[in-house]
This record gives sequence, structure tokens and C-alpha cells, in this order.
Amino acid sequence: MSEFVFATAKYESGDWDAAPLVPANLIDSVARYTAIDVAPRGVVVPLTSREMFEYPLLYVTGHLPLRFTDAERRNVQKYLDRGGMMFVDDHNHDTHGVFHQTATEELTRTAGRLVDLPNTHELYQCFFAFPDGPPNTTHELNGWGDNLVHDHLQAVLRGNRIEVLYSSKDYSSEWGYHPDSKRFNEVDNTRFGVNIIVYALTR
Amino acid sequence: MPSRAEPRAAAEWGLRVVVFALLAWAFWRAIRPVAVAAVGQANAAVVRPALERWITAPPGAVHVTMDRGAVLPAYARHWLVALRREGTAVTWNATTALGPTAIDAEPVADPRGATRVRVAAPGGATVVVRDVLGPLDSLRVAAGGQGVTVTIPASVRGIDGVADGTSARGAVTEALTLRRLLVLGRAGWEAKFLVRSLEEEGWTVDLRLAVTPKTRVIQGHIAAIDTARYAAVIAVDSSVAPAVPHIAAYVRSGGGLVVVGSAARVFRGLDSGTPGPRLRDSGGLYPVTALVPDAVVLERQGNVVAVAARRVERGRVVQVGYDDSWRWRMTGGDSAVARHRAWWTALVASVAYAPSTERAPPPDADAAPLAHLIDALGPPAPTMRAGRAPPDPTRSPWVFGALLAALLLEWGSRRLRGRR
Repeated sequence: MSEFVFATAKYESGDWDAAPLVPANLIDSVARYTAIDVAPRGVVVPLTSREMFEYPLLYVTGHLPLRFTDAERRNVQKYLDRGGMMFVDDHNHDTHGVFHQTATEELTRTAGRLVDLPNTHELYQCFFAFPDGPPNTTHELNGWGDNLVHDHLQAVLRGNRIEVLYSSKDYSSEWGYHPDSKRFNEVDNTRFGVNIIVYALTR
Repeated sequence: MPSRAEPRAAAEWGLRVVVFALLAWAFWRAIRPVAVAAVGQANAAVVRPALERWITAPPGAVHVTMDRGAVLPAYARHWLVALRREGTAVTWNATTALGPTAIDAEPVADPRGATRVRVAAPGGATVVVRDVLGPLDSLRVAAGGQGVTVTIPASVRGIDGVADGTSARGAVTEALTLRRLLVLGRAGWEAKFLVRSLEEEGWTVDLRLAVTPKTRVIQGHIAAIDTARYAAVIAVDSSVAPAVPHIAAYVRSGGGLVVVGSAARVFRGLDSGTPGPRLRDSGGLYPVTALVPDAVVLERQGNVVAVAARRVERGRVVQVGYDDSWRWRMTGGDSAVARHRAWWTALVASVAYAPSTERAPPPDADAAPLAHLIDALGPPAPTMRAGRAPPDPTRSPWVFGALLAALLLEWGSRRLRGRR
């Protein structure tokens, strides 16, 4: 049976590789906390490639405008129709920033309307329990970016299933450190990343 | 005074007269002109008025001719049988060959409703399957073949199979009760996508996927594994080992089981064969090797068995060698999602426990019209000409018996002459 491979999406318009340490950190967490068979290295897949269909969970991040080309948009629509899931994170943590402005517009155009995801959604319970919804990041609590603590994530839903999970909380900064540094954390802040992966693998 | 021999001789003469009279009557019956009613067309518009006339004033014989491959409808056949029982000789023929068409329809265990239709027809015939709303499918029978099987993605009650103009009307006389499915295994793409396809098809799926040895993602209310709750269990991998005794009991009591990939290793006694080494080139396939004697191969991948099935007491088990079928859905062509869904649906339907209840067939059902026609009225006969009546099978034995009795009496009387 196929192992889980963490895949980062490469798109043409912006800095898709803005969080290079996140994949290794999340792979480490999946291996650390679960029995899921996970590949030790992640992959980068262009959104124009057929290869992206080999990876039913894609991680998308950046600081710069997110505008899909026509080919990327077609591929993403097909990918989502077939059951793929995208996790898109605003690395600026700024709802006035260019990534948020363009990404939400582009995702709405490509996948459908983004709605606030209820904090009771099974995403927050499927492995670790997050009874208050999405965990806050240090960037939010320190007042960086838009100086807001976002109470909800957003999502494009099909039925009750998440097709696109959109975060303004900048988990890309929160999780962007070497896995060995986890030992300095009182509580591992990548645990919510494990929930996203478990959710993608089971729903 | 007349002798005693004279009355005997008179009686013998009398018997001879009876014999000749009977022979003359039979000869007259054979050559007499009779009123023969003939119907040029076999469609109801022509047959029905003729039948209505014949029922009120039965002629000596009737002959029905069918053309354009249309077989007499069931009601007309019943009327003609009734006529014959009242003494009217009934024959039929056809101007063109009538196809030996027959139809059988049964429901498929599919939540959206599906019907499997088998139509018997000669090789090379074009078969059209249709319901009251119109044609549903059209297929050509292979040369040398004996019919076609088609699965219609809908529940139908009555269904027609038309082969080269000859029609048969079948009926689904069972209604299935479908229960839930249970998927067990580890968290992974295979479990996720097969559940997704089955749910899209309308199945209600309970799910228990292991994330760690002690942590599971659960969907639905996982109850005892028995046929009162589940139509089938799908074991995605060998992590189901602790539940194997329960699943085995469930299968033996009639439940369905789908065993995926390497999971067969923990289902000794239920498996169709031993899973061989995984073949990556074949899209992730554990070939089914060392098949047990009663296993049936359902699908091959090159030289190896990819899917096999068997019965285990009252239940059915299908063993699937593929453990990465999710890639078909994600990476296949434009119809990949529909095909993945159809493949899994058919697989589950082939084993699902689905208790059925009987339904009365519609009154116009006529599943094998030509066979029923020959059974009721005999084989086709040449067209009747005016003045030539067919032999009357219901009266001939009586005439023959009377002739025989008279001859025996006359012969016996002569042999016994002179004895006291």
C-alpha cells in the first residue's frame, strides 16, 4: 500500500517555496505520533503537472500574489473533483496582504466559496483534540501581520468534506523550524498539522 | 321357427354396418370443407377482434399467421388455448423466422438501484433493452453467442428485450433490502478513496481506520458485525487481524467480505488464494496465487490473477489483489472517477448480503413468448387452406376405439359360432 508523501505545490505566480522547513517538520510529526506509513522526504509538484494527482494532499503557501494560470486552474479543479485536498496557508498572516487578497479570490474562482469552518468540525477532533478550534500561532499572539487572532479557518466544502482548507494564521511560520528543535517546545505546535494529514487520509 | 344362428348373423351384420359407418364418418370428417379463420397479422389490433368473434361463435378451426417477427401476445395465446379446449383446432405459423428471445431480470445490490438483464437471442442479433420510457441499451450478440447481459443503472419493474424484432417482456420479482457497509483498516489513500466512491454511489459506510495501534478514526456507529446491520465488510489491510474471528462468523452466516491486498494473509480459510509478492509495475498488485479449488477468477492482470471469489458456507468472499486502486481515480482519464466508482460498486454488489422480498409479476409479463407459444399450441403448422381441416386429436382415439370394439365383437361372434 502506498505510503503518505508530503507534497508541496509549485505555482508560477509567487514564492511557493517560502516555507522549506515545514514538510520535514510535519513528516517528523506524523512519524512520531502515528503509525501511518510516511515517506521520509517530501516532494514538490508543479500545479501544471500530471504528477500532482499522485499526491491527494497538497500544501500551498507563499507571501506573494497567488494567481493560477489557466492550466493550473484546470488541473486544480480536476484534482479537487477527483477527491484531492489542498491546504493553503497565508505566510503573511495578513488579511490585507497580497497573498490573502489574491489567494481567496483565486480559490473562490477555482474551487468555490470559502466559508468559516466551524470549530466543532471533525478536523479538530480526528486525532489530537482541539476543542477551541484552530490553535493560535505566535505570530497572531505577538500582533504581527494584521494584528488579528483568527478564530476560524476557512474552507471550501463539498458536503461536509473539506476540499480546500485555507488558513490566515501563518502556520508556515509556526511550523518552519528544524524537527530537532521540537524538544524545546512544551507542547508540540505541529500537532494540528498531524490532524490535517489524518483528516486528509481518512475523509 | 328361425334357428338360433340367425340373430347372431344379424348382429354380426349390424356390427359390420357400424364399422363401415364409422369409417365413412371419419373419411367425411377428413375431407369435409370447414370454416377456417385466418388472421393475417399477429398484432393485437387484428387478433383481438377475431378472438372476440371466435369466442362467441367458435369455428371448426383457426389459424394464426404472424409476420414481422412479432410473437402472439400472452392474452391471445391464452384465448386460443381456451378455444382449443372447446373443440376448435388451433394452428399457427410465421411468415418470418421468430427469434427464440427470452428475458430474465434481477435486482443488483446497488443503493441507487440497478437491474441485471439477460436476454437470450441468436448469435448476431441486435438486442435492444427498453422499459416503458424507451430504449435503455442496445447490444449485438456475438457470433455464435446465445445472448447478452447488461446491467442497467436503475430499478425497473417491467423490462422488454427485443432481438431483431422479437420481443420478450420480463419482470423483476424481487425487492432487495440493503444494509450498511463496514470498512476496516489503516488510515491511507486506498481506504479513503474506496469509501468515497462507495458513498458517492449511495452506500452508507461505517468506518474504522487505525491511526496508531490504539487510536482509530471512526465514522458511524460501529456495531456488532452481523448480517442484521452490514451488507458487506471491506478489509483494507492486515490490521483487521483482531476482528477476523467475528468477520469469519459473519461470512459463514451469509455476510459479504471484500479482502484487499495483503489483508488476505490474515483470512486463512476465507481467502481464494495466497497473496504473492507485490507487483509495483502492475499498479500495486498482490497476485492471488495458489487458488483454492472452489475459487472463481474474476479478473486477470496479464498472467496473474488480480481478483478471485469464492463461497464460504452461506457467505461470499472476493479477494482483490490491488491495494492502490485510488490511483485509478486520481490519475486516470476523464471517466476515471466514474469507473473507479463503478468498479468498487460492482465488486461490493457481487458479495453483498441483501435479503429479498417477493413481488408479484405484472400481468403482461411474458419472459419467453416463443417457448410459451410452442408449449401452449404446439409447433408451427403450414397455412391452412379452405376445405382442409386439420386432424382432430381430441376425437380420433374415440373413433378408433369404437372401430376396434365393433371389429372385435364381430370377429369374436364368428369364432364362437356353434359353441353351446
